[in-house]
Amino acid sequence: MNRSAEQQQMNPLREGLSTRAVPQPCAIVIFGATGDLTHRKLIPALYNLAANGELPPAVAIIGFARRPKSDDDFRKEMEEAVRKFSRQAVRDEIWKTFSQSLFYHQSEFGAEAGYKSLVERLEKTDNERGTRGNRLFYFAAGPDQFETILKNLKAAGLNRAKQGSWARVIIEKPFGTDLASARELNRIVNHAFDESQTYRIDHFLGKETAQNILVLRFANAIFEPLWNTRYIDHLEITAAETLGVEARAGYYEKAGALRDMVQNHLLQLLCLVTMEAPTDLRAESIRDEKVKVVRALRRIIRSEVAKNVVRAQYTEGAIGGQPVPAYRQEKGVDPKSTTETYVALRINIDNWRWADVPVYMRVGKRLPKSATEISVHFKKAPAVLFNKETVKIDQNVLVIRIQPDEGISLRMLAKIPGTSLRIEPVKMDFHYGTSFGKPSPEAYERLLLDAMSGDATLFARRDEVEEAWSFIDPIEEAWHEKKDAPELYFYPAGSWGPEAADDLLARDGRAWRRL
Amino acid sequence: MPAAAEIYSLGAPVEIGSIEKELKKLWQGREGAMTRASLMNLAVYSEEAGSLNKNTQLMAKIAENHACRAIVIEADCRSEENRVGAWISAHCHVSRTGKKQVCSEQISFLLKGGCTTQLPSIILSNLDSDLPFYLWWQGELHDPMDAQLWEWVDRFIYDSHDWKDFPAQMALVETAHREAKQRLVLCDLNWTRVDHVRFALAQFFDHPASHHRLAKISKVRIDFAPAFRSTAFLFTGWLGAQLDWQPEKTSSPDKLRFTGRAGRTVEVELREREGQPIHEIALTAGDAEFLVTHAECGDLLEVSRGKPGENPIPQLMPAGKHDSVNLMSEELMRGGPHHVYLRAVNCVRDLL
Repeated sequence: MNRSAEQQQMNPLREGLSTRAVPQPCAIVIFGATGDLTHRKLIPALYNLAANGELPPAVAIIGFARRPKSDDDFRKEMEEAVRKFSRQAVRDEIWKTFSQSLFYHQSEFGAEAGYKSLVERLEKTDNERGTRGNRLFYFAAGPDQFETILKNLKAAGLNRAKQGSWARVIIEKPFGTDLASARELNRIVNHAFDESQTYRIDHFLGKETAQNILVLRFANAIFEPLWNTRYIDHLEITAAETLGVEARAGYYEKAGALRDMVQNHLLQLLCLVTMEAPTDLRAESIRDEKVKVVRALRRIIRSEVAKNVVRAQYTEGAIGGQPVPAYRQEKGVDPKSTTETYVALRINIDNWRWADVPVYMRVGKRLPKSATEISVHFKKAPAVLFNKETVKIDQNVLVIRIQPDEGISLRMLAKIPGTSLRIEPVKMDFHYGTSFGKPSPEAYERLLLDAMSGDATLFARRDEVEEAWSFIDPIEEAWHEKKDAPELYFYPAGSWGPEAADDLLARDGRAWRRL
Repeated sequence: MPAAAEIYSLGAPVEIGSIEKELKKLWQGREGAMTRASLMNLAVYSEEAGSLNKNTQLMAKIAENHACRAIVIEADCRSEENRVGAWISAHCHVSRTGKKQVCSEQISFLLKGGCTTQLPSIILSNLDSDLPFYLWWQGELHDPMDAQLWEWVDRFIYDSHDWKDFPAQMALVETAHREAKQRLVLCDLNWTRVDHVRFALAQFFDHPASHHRLAKISKVRIDFAPAFRSTAFLFTGWLGAQLDWQPEKTSSPDKLRFTGRAGRTVEVELREREGQPIHEIALTAGDAEFLVTHAECGDLLEVSRGKPGENPIPQLMPAGKHDSVNLMSEELMRGGPHHVYLRAVNCVRDLL
């Protein structure tokens, strides 16, 4: 958000241009360069940035991985990946230039010699490509490798930049598996890199609609006066997907829906929708306000978990008319697994603005459709005139659709034409895809560019992550009690989750929004 | 509605007084299959014979990326008869998600006689309420223009490249700007034409270590296509205005001279050659040379920085396209004011 403001001020030729300043030259080292993330997201994102002229000319992208491979092999592999996964068609001329910035560095993550040779390689890159000693280390490897990589980076002196240069590290989730492991991971990271050098990526925050939440709230005068306990009845946040665990069974079995989605993506969305207005758009100002929300989340004590949290797992069913197996029948899943693929929560935010406004969150796999959205349910109009006790009238609902079909809609009530008085809800609908012909950049494009430019606004800070775990931990602990652990419910694949999740809202006289 | 058949046609003729009613009929019963979308009122005015059809085609393409209520006006100011003909139609395309047809509506007018006096009443009565109003004026402006119009226009789009007399036309634009109390955003497509080259050149100086080079610029060479001299002047004006160069008097229109901040002389050479409107820019600053040139494919720029002892790393950047649809599209996506534009014009006003 505070895109290299300093740079823009100092370069008079930048004034009035609608494009952002090009980041400083740098070398990007990707640990786990042969992995899925690199193929599907990172290199296609970097290619798209290059195609839009947003990468500095002096950039080098060095893939660091175990498998032996030449630079040319790596380039060919990445070309295939970009042709397959890039959001825009690959142009040969651009690929030819871009591919010259791709290099491969073969080493075990734990091999000291591999880091020594990386130092030499980076110095050579500085001389040959003008990367000026700036380094961006991207951890696309498994979290079990983080400590090894960090220790070796530190031992090789790569965590400290030369005078006038910078070194930054981007870490992919999961940021730990509980508060203790998150603290330990943060300790390890901060042992090598300062917090100001650390960028914890949550790709949800790179999505256009997530960024638009703050614009919607704070650039429009009509919403903010209503954005509080006086006018809002409750909030719902849904992240539904039709997919099962696919090839992630190994990770998912250990994580489950609560750790995989709620601790990071959903709490980040909650922060954006409930935070106070920051004093300015600097990264720290925004993150300060976000962390206050996580801190204000009422901790769900063990004895209250069953009442406020529902966990469930999908059984056999059908998605889009096609039969799909139960979670326990998926490849790599324990046939007796108790891992949750669905979780619904009732959350309270104990601050002045949100007192008595419950937040209902649900996330699940193998649900009837894929959709991530936030809905703000306003209180009903007073029970007089059109809203008498005997007449059921819907609430106004503002929906912020994060994906797919990004947009915003507002449900309101209107009179049905005719001589009698009948009222029905109508919807005002804004679709990004319909209104703007230009497609939004992929989340990773925005986030990589931000990290290169030193803008940490859309990245999670240490305290945010730790506060989020301190909220999640009691729930996980209750679930793993040997005695009297809350029940694991089941739901058929292709349904909207277990009945217990509906009961969670029904007890409060509410129901999930129909998606 | 058979979208494909209607894309480039003026559509159904309508009575002036029943345009809104007829537009409603056009959409009745079709909401399920298609979405009517509009982010702005976009009016295009031209006095060129046959422009109604030509601009209908342009609007159909522009509407693919910029949902709008299009108002296309062809005026025959010399006609002795005083008559207005009107048509309504829709431009539909499949949305990016491929699920729905997204449609923009178009109202077309053929004005005969008394053009500029008819214009405000024709436009103002057909604006979609609460949406911004962009007026795209093709060709020369009239003196005087109707002041009533400027109260309503949010963005005034024109192409100074088409003007025969820049100072006179610019004076009319500035009058409009004053009458609108500076609220009106001036959008010169000739300025949009240099957008990508400006970006390509500016990015060389984003790094703080490069800032000092701005003060060392001594030579600039600008290669421009025939008929795009005014574009080259605007580009020069931008450099001059942003880098605080004062123009000096020179005898040759192809060799300009400026005095930089520290009294350093800056020579700007303008060279006409076949190619893109601004085909190549070479800038010398101390021992470094910065080059922005069009690649052979036309829609990419090759940028490189050369310095003794350094290996230049060429990079490709988007060059944009210079046809009306693409220029308009870029302008409509941009939003915000063009503060720098008037400064650039002022810097080279006497040359234009």
